[in-house]
Amino acid sequence: MTNNLSAVLSGAVAMASFATTLFFAKFWRQTSDVFFLLFALAFAIDTVSRVALGLTETSYELEPAFYVLRLAMFALIIVAITLKNRSR
Amino acid sequence: MTVSSLIYGLCAVTSAVCAGLLLAAYRLEWYRLLLWSGLCFVGLAANNVILLLDKVVLPDVDLSALRLFVALIAMSILLFGLIWDTES
Repeated sequence: MTNNLSAVLSGAVAMASFATTLFFAKFWRQTSDVFFLLFALAFAIDTVSRVALGLTETSYELEPAFYVLRLAMFALIIVAITLKNRSR
Repeated sequence: MTVSSLIYGLCAVTSAVCAGLLLAAYRLEWYRLLLWSGLCFVGLAANNVILLLDKVVLPDVDLSALRLFVALIAMSILLFGLIWDTES
């Protein structure tokens, strides 16, 4: 039961992350602002890592590698905000 | 400290930094997308703290459904903002 619930939740979060990627990609296309491009890239990475995690059997050796992708996502967001703050 | 616990810890720290930067930017700019993004990252930071608890502090307890539920709430807040509260 918990596994089924986790699988459904995991798929829903991945889909939400993918939809968010599309929104930020659209804002980037409309404004050419790198801030939105970096956000789109960050959420695209998050989508990939969540799909990969969802497809992988829980294994303690491999799992942290997917979280490195998540770490890259947060780093991109920090870069995006820092660049935006600097350009002001 | 193992490499994996370091990665989980860094995910929690960087996501909290993202939340702080986005909410601080919102207080300066009053640009609503920054608020929705900031609230999303508050949830993602909570998700990563629960991940750290799940994997490192309480390895015998399965918190996967709880942390995925928190992540889904976080992503839903941002999606709500993107769909309901942004122009075009």
